[in-house]
Amino acid sequence: MDAVETMNKARSAPADTGKTPLIDIRNLRVTFPSGGAAPKTVLKGIDLAVKSGEIVGLVGESGAGKTTLARSILGVPPGPGRIAGGEVHFEGRQILSLSEAEFRRLRGRRLSVVVPNPRAELNPLLRTGDQIASMAKIHLGVNGKEARRLALQMLRDVQIPDPERRMDAYPHELSGGMAQRVVIAMALICNPAFVISDDATSGLDVTVQAQILALLTKLVAEQGSAMLFITRDVGITAHFCDRIAVLFSGEIVELAPREALFLEPAHPYTLMLLASFSHSPRLRDSWSVPDTSRRRELAAGCQYADRCPIAQPVCRERRPPFAENGPGHFARCHFPVRHG
Amino acid sequence: MSTVLTIDNLYKHFPIAGSKQVVQAINGVSLTIEPGETLGLVGESGSGKTTVGRCIVGLIEPSAGTIHFRDADLALRQRHKRELAGKIQLVFQEPNESLDPRRKIGDTISEPLLPLRLDRETRRRRTADALRLVRLQPDLLDAYPSELSSGQQQRVGIARAMVTEPELVVLDEPTSALDPTARAEIIDLLRRIQSERHTAYLFISHDLSTVRFISHRVAVMYLGMIVEQGSAETVFNRPQHPYSSGLLSSVMLPHPHLKIESSVSLKGEIPSPINLPKGCFLASRCPFVIDRCRHEMPPAETVGERHTVHCFRHKDVAASVPASDTFNVFMKEAERILGRTVPSGVKPSLHQPTT
Ligand SMILES: Nc1ncnc2c1ncn2[C@@H]1O[C@H](COP(=O)(O)OP(=O)(O)OP(=O)(O)O)[C@@H](O)[C@H]1O
Ligand SMILES: Nc1ncnc2c1ncn2[C@@H]1O[C@H](COP(=O)(O)OP(=O)(O)OP(=O)(O)O)[C@@H](O)[C@H]1O
Ligand code: SF4
Ligand code: SF4
Ligand SMILES: [Mg+2]
Ligand SMILES: [Mg+2]
Repeated sequence: MDAVETMNKARSAPADTGKTPLIDIRNLRVTFPSGGAAPKTVLKGIDLAVKSGEIVGLVGESGAGKTTLARSILGVPPGPGRIAGGEVHFEGRQILSLSEAEFRRLRGRRLSVVVPNPRAELNPLLRTGDQIASMAKIHLGVNGKEARRLALQMLRDVQIPDPERRMDAYPHELSGGMAQRVVIAMALICNPAFVISDDATSGLDVTVQAQILALLTKLVAEQGSAMLFITRDVGITAHFCDRIAVLFSGEIVELAPREALFLEPAHPYTLMLLASFSHSPRLRDSWSVPDTSRRRELAAGCQYADRCPIAQPVCRERRPPFAENGPGHFARCHFPVRHG
Repeated sequence: MSTVLTIDNLYKHFPIAGSKQVVQAINGVSLTIEPGETLGLVGESGSGKTTVGRCIVGLIEPSAGTIHFRDADLALRQRHKRELAGKIQLVFQEPNESLDPRRKIGDTISEPLLPLRLDRETRRRRTADALRLVRLQPDLLDAYPSELSSGQQQRVGIARAMVTEPELVVLDEPTSALDPTARAEIIDLLRRIQSERHTAYLFISHDLSTVRFISHRVAVMYLGMIVEQGSAETVFNRPQHPYSSGLLSSVMLPHPHLKIESSVSLKGEIPSPINLPKGCFLASRCPFVIDRCRHEMPPAETVGERHTVHCFRHKDVAASVPASDTFNVFMKEAERILGRTVPSGVKPSLHQPTT
């Protein structure tokens, strides 16, 4: 059985998907100061809810705001970024209003994030086993012996070869794929309810990537957690996310169940994105505008208007609504593409 | 026209400081590239792709084996200096790696022309041609790299490689740092340049779907060996080496129903190139392994026209799944999903210059 099949199998028994979402992001806005001028709005009102057992993909080009969203959910927007508005409801609480101390107890314990570049995450001077165990000691309050036992079990779960020996290895003795597994082990050891994977597999080889994805999916399913899977690799999301959100310039422009997004894409940006994987210059040209120099932010109206081949005058005047065009299929567009 | 590049039984071993051991980066690579042909070179990280590229462009010396550019033995690079000048070029992964931030774009592009001893006028014309070839505006000649997007920077990298009118360009992951749109534009550009100038490419990439479409032939590398080499269509549709098959099946196309069938799921990771096993290098990860594989290195077998495989069980591997052309099915699907919805007012405008 190969990795993708394993993933699908793990997915076929989703945990209880009750009506109330596990995490509910409402109208989240994040700004960055821009030297004197009005601050730059990087997230322009994000609405996204994820249920237990669900894996939601978040795709978008570099600079769209994916990492900013991930870090803002955890209450720590990158750099000088500031949460300018909105709410994040998680397990019945509006967590953006928590004190820093309360938030710290939540992070790593109930909410955790897996980032790329595992080497930067790991302390080069500490043995991997101790690093994983310390997460359990801090957040679960278990003693050292129990923490080590959990850490070893976690290394087994992430399928590191020779886990007993790797407990005592230093990060530089691990390959990139192994280091990424260790970071996943650290993120999952406390059995978090919500996991964010921010581009965590992009630096890995495809064969290792397939193994890590299978693993993440399996662990999420077994623990009944939910995951936000952030990536620039749209192809991955077609195979193991339940729903996919397409982020463009700080806005979710389309949100749909996997099948609908890929087979009946509605937003012109999504069509352009998919066309760029089609290896057909003709399809690409028909979904893009040749002139790239006039791209700019529009104060009112659709953010995509300058790049949209079907833009109409109204698009520059009124912000399109995030309208539902099919079951669970939303697009922020005045003229969503219809199929069939 | 004669073969552009012939590599015969190439080895490259790097000594490890303070140790008698060596990194066995390349272990007997043979390949050929014809004029106007693209050879895609794929394989996991550390399999030796970049090292092959660096040997070709002369950044490092092979430990053993030969590389010929047409009839010139590259070990005697100095002797053939004049006829080789500008004939083989390299494009890097990170666009800004090859660009000096303090140097104007025009100077960066024309720099490789300096050793060719051309007159000023010819240099100027060649530079302008190269810029036009990659569809950049002439006013960018006076810009600095930081003023350009990463897609434009990679165009500059390509213009700089093409300015000497090379016959062979080694492209080492030229698109992996780019967003999908910029990537697709660069791929179009490379294809168009090739059809105009008949340039041969060695295209190194992790992006197998792009390799499938840009390459005429592909070579699959594993631990410094080319385990399978053949036409892109044959290797992708019916791989005969377990490693090619496993590698291809990990590709995830952006379509929820299309998956590449394989009987091989590669577990574990690539072993260290310092202590290579005695027999087949894949034996520890291979579901087809038999006793013989563990002490005997499978020889290269020719299984079709310009198609070679290093595996004792290549027939079983080929028979293990029906041949399929998932990539072409995917293209047809893309056409169906994205094509019929093409906005009526928009005319397909192939290769419009982006201004
Ligand atoms: N420290 C910062 N200071 C100012 N602006 C920032 C900072 N970090 C991010 N930004 C801005 O926020 C926007 C979103 O950045 P973000 O890192 O969230 O994008 P991303 O979607 O994660 O991109 P990538 O795919 O490259 O990781 C960018 O356009 C960037 O200009
Ligand atoms: N200068 C060097 N000294 C020692 N070892 C080296 C050197 N250059 C490369 N190697 C080793 O040779 C092997 C092949 O490396 P190479 O960079 O060619 O792989 P690659 O296939 O290009 O990988 P990637 O996909 O990560 O770019 C690796 O094990 C690498 O560590
Ligand atoms: S609202 Fe108008 S400009 Fe925006 S994506 Fe839709 S059609 Fe294009
Ligand atoms: S020679 Fe043996 S171990 Fe090597 S790839 Fe073939 S079957 Fe597998
Ligand atoms: Mg990011
Ligand atoms: Mg390389």
